[in-house]
Order: sequence, then C-alpha cells, then structure tokens
Amino acid sequence: MKFEHISMQFPGVLANDDVSLEIKRGEVFALVGENGAGKSTLMNILYGIQAPTAGRVNIRGREVERFDPRTAIGLGVGMVHQHFMLVPSFTVAQNIVMSREPRKAGIFFDNAAAERLTRALAEEYGLEVDPAAAVGELGVGLQQRVEILKTLFRGAEILILDEPTAVLTPQETDELFAVIRRVVKERDMTVIIITHKLYEVLAISDRVGVMRKGRLVGVERTCDVDEKLLASMMVGRPVLYDELDKTGTPGEELIRVENLTVEDNRGLTAVDGLSLLVRAGEVLGIAAIEGNGQSELLEAITGMRAPSGGRVFVRGQDVTGKSPGDIRAVGLAHVPEDRLATGVSAAATVADNLLMGKHRERRFNRFGFQQRTPTIARYAQEIYDRFDMRGAGIGATAGSLSGGNMQKVVIAREFSFDAPVLVIAQPTRGVDVGAIEFIHARIMEKRNQGCAILLCSADLDEVFRLSDRIVTLYEGKATGEFAAGGFSKEEIGLGMTGGGKGEAK
Amino acid sequence: MKEKVGRLNWGYLLSLTASVLLAFLLGALILAAAGFDPLRAYAAMWSGAFSNARHMGDVLEYAMVLAVCGLACVLGSRVGIFNVGGEGQLLLGAIVSCQVGVWLVGQSKLVVLPCAMLAAAVTGGLYALIPGVLKVKVKVNEVITTIMLNTIAASLCQYLAKGPWKHPNKTMVAATGQLDPRNWFTTLIPNSNLSSAILLAAVMAFLTWYVMQKTCLGFEMKLTGQNPRFAFFSGLKTDSIVIVCMLFSGAMCGLVGMFRVYGVEHLYRSSISNQYYFEGLTVAMIARYDPVATILLSLFFAVLKIGAQGMEISAGVPNQIYLIIQTIIIFCMAAESGITASLTAAAQRRRARAQAEERRKGAEGNA
Repeated sequence: MKFEHISMQFPGVLANDDVSLEIKRGEVFALVGENGAGKSTLMNILYGIQAPTAGRVNIRGREVERFDPRTAIGLGVGMVHQHFMLVPSFTVAQNIVMSREPRKAGIFFDNAAAERLTRALAEEYGLEVDPAAAVGELGVGLQQRVEILKTLFRGAEILILDEPTAVLTPQETDELFAVIRRVVKERDMTVIIITHKLYEVLAISDRVGVMRKGRLVGVERTCDVDEKLLASMMVGRPVLYDELDKTGTPGEELIRVENLTVEDNRGLTAVDGLSLLVRAGEVLGIAAIEGNGQSELLEAITGMRAPSGGRVFVRGQDVTGKSPGDIRAVGLAHVPEDRLATGVSAAATVADNLLMGKHRERRFNRFGFQQRTPTIARYAQEIYDRFDMRGAGIGATAGSLSGGNMQKVVIAREFSFDAPVLVIAQPTRGVDVGAIEFIHARIMEKRNQGCAILLCSADLDEVFRLSDRIVTLYEGKATGEFAAGGFSKEEIGLGMTGGGKGEAK
Repeated sequence: MKEKVGRLNWGYLLSLTASVLLAFLLGALILAAAGFDPLRAYAAMWSGAFSNARHMGDVLEYAMVLAVCGLACVLGSRVGIFNVGGEGQLLLGAIVSCQVGVWLVGQSKLVVLPCAMLAAAVTGGLYALIPGVLKVKVKVNEVITTIMLNTIAASLCQYLAKGPWKHPNKTMVAATGQLDPRNWFTTLIPNSNLSSAILLAAVMAFLTWYVMQKTCLGFEMKLTGQNPRFAFFSGLKTDSIVIVCMLFSGAMCGLVGMFRVYGVEHLYRSSISNQYYFEGLTVAMIARYDPVATILLSLFFAVLKIGAQGMEISAGVPNQIYLIIQTIIIFCMAAESGITASLTAAAQRRRARAQAEERRKGAEGNA
C-alpha cells in the first residue's frame, strides 16, 4: 500500500500536506501525532471516506480511482473506528454478517448459518466470541473484537485501528495486542494503528510514522526510537516528561466521603456505599473504566448531583446535597469532565469565561454592581498570556477555541480561585502533548502548595503519573487502594474489572 | 474586543437594510398588482407618520409600547426563557391599575399614579411568575404555559369588564369605569396619544439596558441564558435569576398596560392592546434580542404602522400592507443567517480549492 503526495485541503486548514508513505504487507505500522495532526484524515482517505484534494493512493499496486468505503472494502481495507459501529440489540453473529447476510431461499435471513459462519471465523483467527450474545451486553473489549471480526468477515487484509486502546483496561489491551500479532504473523495481514500512547507504539509496531501539522515528519523502525524521541518528534521540540517533582507530606484531611450512594440519570445506583478521603498535599487518583460511577461520584462531591445516601465533607464541613455555589464557598474548585457542556459557556467570550465566579470580587466592579470592563479585560489578557492560549484573543467566543485551549480556559479559571480543594476530571481529554505537559505541571504545582486533589481520568497513565494514592472503582464500589510505587498495572487493571470476578464475559 | 463587536454589527445592519429594502420592493409589487400606485402609497405612508405633530405623537407612543414590550421579551430571553405571555400580563396590569384608579377616585394624582403603577407591575409580575416558577421547578415549557395564560388573562379581563368592574353607564359594553381626568398622564402633544408616560418608559428602557449590559447581575443573567449548567456549576443561583427576570419581564408588560390606560384610553376595554406584546416580541426577535436595536427598530416599526394607518385614510390603501412588509422583513432576517452561512462556506471552499491548485502547480514547478 502506498500514498503518493497526498494533500487534503479543508476550508482554512491543510489537514494533510504532501504526505508520501509506503506500508508493506505483513507489518504493524503505528501512526502517531497530536490531535489535529492529520492522522485520521489520512486514514479516512485510505478507507475512502474522503477524497484527497491532490495525490494518489495505491493499494496492492492498483491505483484507487474512486474514493468511497465500498471500493476500499473491495480492495481489502477494513477500519475499526474509535466509536464502534455496531447495532447493540443485534447478536454478535448478526452484526458480523451484516450487509452480507446468508439467506434462505434468497430472501430470509439465515440466523443459524450466520452463527455458524461467525463461529468458523472466530476459530480461524483465534478470537473467541459467543455468536448468540447481544452486542449491547458485551464489554467494550469484546465489542471491539466483534468490530475486528466484522472487518475480517468482509475480507480485510489491511486493518486500520483508530485509537483502539482508549477504552480498554491494561489486560484487554494486552489481549488485543496478542490478537494483532497473531493475525499479522499467521495471516500476513497489515495493521495500521492510530494512537497517541507512545509506549503502545513501542510494544506493538514494526515501524512508526509521526505526523505533525499535516506533514509526515518521520518514519522510523520502532526498534530505533524511544518514547522521548517520538514525543519530541510529535511536538516539534524536546519534551522533558521527567519525573514530576513531588514534595511535602500529606496534611489534614480536606475531603471525606462516607458511605456515599448516588444514582445516575436512569435512577440506577451508580455509586454504591463508597468511602474515601483526600488529604492536603496529595493527589488521590481514581482508576475506573468509563461508566463505573466515577462521574456520579465527582458530581455528588461538587454539588452537581444530589446523593441518595451517605455524607460528603469538604474542609470538615458537611456539604451533602448543597449547591455547587455553597460548596465552592467552602473552598472547592472543580474541573468538570465535559468542558463543553459544563466547563465553559461556548457562546460567551474567553474573557467572560475566565471571569465567571470572580465577577463579584471588588476589583472587578464598582459598588458591587457596575462591571469594570477595562480591569476585566486586563485580568483576562494576563491569564490568557500566562496560560499561553492560542486563539483569536480574549474577545473571541470560547466555542471558537480548540479543545486544548478550551481546557486551558477551564483549568486557568478553576485554578485561579486558590481553593484548597480541587476536584479534577479528565484534565487532558482531547488535549495535545504540549498542553498535557503544561497542565500536569500546574496540577503538581497545586499539589505541592498543599491542595487536596481528587483526580479522575480515563487515561490511566495520567492517573499513575500524578497520583500519590489510587483507588480503583468497579460498578460504584471501591475495589482496591494502592499507594504510589506500590502497585503494578495488572493489579490496578484487576481492580478496575472487579478483581477479575466480573469480567468473565 | 471592540473591533469584533463592530464587525458583527455591520453584518447585521447590512442584512437588515437589505431585508427592509426587499420588503418595500415586494410590498410595491403587491401594491401595483392590487392596482395602487406604489410611490403614491409610500408617500402617503410617509406623510401619515410625519405630516403633523399629532401623527408624530402617535408614532412615539406606539414606539414606546413596542420598545417596552420588546425589552420585556429581551429580558426573558437573556436568561433563556421565552416570555410569550406578555399580552396577558399587559391586559391584567391594565385592568387592575385602572380599577385601582377607580377605587381611589378623589385622591391626588401623586397618590393615584404611583399606586396604579405598583398595582400594574405587581399584577404583571406575579402573572409572569407562574410560568417562571413552573419552568424552574418542574421544567414545564414556558412557551406553552405563557400562551395558555394569555387566553386565561384575556377571558378574565373580559369577565371583569362585563361583570364586577363594569362601567356604570349601561350602554358601555365590556369596559370598566372611567378614570378621573385629573389622574391621567399629561398629554404632551394635543390630540395625540403621546403622554408623559413616555418619560417613565424611557427611564425603564435605560435601566433595563444598563442592568443587562453593564452590571454583574447582567453578566450572571447572560451566562445563565447561554449555558445554565455552566452557570449552576460556577455557583450561580440560576433558579432565582430566571425567576427574578421573569418577574421583571412581567412587571414591564403590566406597566405598558397601565401606560395605555392612564395615557390613552382612560378606562379599560379590550382595545387597550391589539396584540401589541406580540408586535414588540417580533421587534425584539428582528433585533436579535439586542436592547438598543430593539428600541431603534421599535421606532421604525411605529413609523410604518402609524404611517400605514394614515395611508389607508388618505390614499385608500388597506393598512394590511404594514403587516405584509413586517412579515417579509422577519422572513428575510430569519433566512439571512442560513444564507450568510452558506455564502461564507462556499467562499471558503473556493479559497481552499484555489490554494490546493496553487500548491499543486508549485509542486509541479519544483519537479
């Protein structure tokens, strides 16, 4: 497979800039880069979702003339998207054979044949699944396996995996990698894996291509590179990623959660009798797979959701069921997990977003009433510069910012309250490497100043890197507590899946 | 920051002007098709609004009604609530304030007017509070409740004017008792509808603008309207903010009713308002809920409306032409955002293609 001088011009953005790349049969090729570097665009071109504005694509020596997924599938290209394209209420077999269903008498769907085909396929590739199980009831790891089987069923020889490990536990990741190695070795397939987790690149790939700002800045043999080199290639400058400087000892307890029970939007128990405490000068990390109650837990602590049982204390005060305003007044700041829905007002200016919550302070108004516009603009500009935000200035709407810069607005505002207690969810979701470094440094600064920090992130490496202690959650219950340095990834992974009991499916 | 705002306004002004011109053009075509001379009709419309002091007074009075109603709507929209119930709040404010004047007959104007204003504001405000509280506490859609409450208010007023609060003169159908002429607002231009109420309206309009645009409270209102979850997350008491805004929005509508009673009609009857709130709401929508634009456009539409009435009398052209022109402007302004967006996108695509072409040529040149 070969790309020749691919360029992709979107309105205002050059997503791919003269990319030429050759990928050989039987290799695992990793494509890395920051968000917006053009990885997904390049793969969308290969899969025929978009036609390039310039350049040619050759698959097995044949030039691709029409860019649509049907042609691509015909040429043996299969893609597993980050968000699965499965019908949850259908069985595994039904999902896999979809669009090429075996039929009885030409019109009726032959379910038995579908299950038979699925079983045969699964055996052939050594990917164990239950053909009759409904997809919606499977864990994400198994759903991903179904996606892979689906592409294989369609005869894929080139498999594109878009951020395949984002939703997996360490164990599931290992299993996935084993599968990839097996299909490549036994079936002589080509696997292209898009990721931003550098250690995974090292673990799985034969070669790696690094993209930055639409250009392919380097293609290396994986054995010739290390994480630091890859990171600096991605960012375009050296990335330090040194050990974070953790100083001081934990002080008094600032968050105490006792026997907390919280319901989710459907009225089901999301947090189930949980207790934890966070001391001044420490980061307590929560490791959990999405949907195991961590969102509801943080919302209950910060007042965004009323708990149905138990108590929450912040700085010794009982704040159970209080409003976010009351809890903030006690001394808590909160970086929410969903910045667009909760963390900013997209329609308001960056300045207004930075001011929010401080607008009643004396320096920003006269007589507690009329706003001092120049002072506000000066303040916002100072923060804007200090956090190195990139956008159309403090007068532009927050919605016009990129994800990383929007996150900086949230972090800048919440950290500016000088609150002794910080609850931080997904601090770097969708944020690129350069900004991650910066945000991690700010979090550590707060920790070393003696803040109590409760951190929750879907990115386990982030939890490992920042936390002093880690609590694993599974189905709303704490399944383990680990002190920094005193755990292995496997132990944490076991905790996240209910100690190995729950994830037998 | 300022530059950005300026640029936005220019685009808006341009599309507004284009819409207005198009509306007049289409209006002319319709007039011509109906057998009228469009130029003569428009000339008659102009003189209908400006030919003498009395007409200009009527224009200003109607502009006041539109502006205060429009601002009441803007106030609600600022916190994300669409008050469609201003008509009912207006009618109730009118009838209650009128009855207060009837009860206080014989008292000095300095007693009657403040009492009547307070009564109108409280009545309108409380009536608006019902949908406000329902919205905040049990998430009932305010558009439905306010529309329904309009009907209830209109029927209630009709009942009061025919029954308990009926005019002593039996020949008057569905009207309350007349106010003592000593308690009326002073008429500023003889024979016109313009009264000293416009001064109060001006103060109210200024305060509304000032609070919304310049104060901490206005800031909180704006952010609550833009993203209530974010506002709540940031510690604002969003429920109270919404309810208070609804209260004031209703109070403003009630006061418009009182201005109509004490300035023009001097008693309550259903002609006190002919869907005036909905016209104000329309103006606010065309002004994209900007307070200053609402006030300026109120003046423009008042000229059109009063002018159209004059035109009917002097040139025999039905004044429905006013509604046609107004509707076309609304239509154009609504379509405008879509048209602008597609034009911008098309321009961007053209630019992108040209850039790609250039790069390709450059690459070939190098090779």
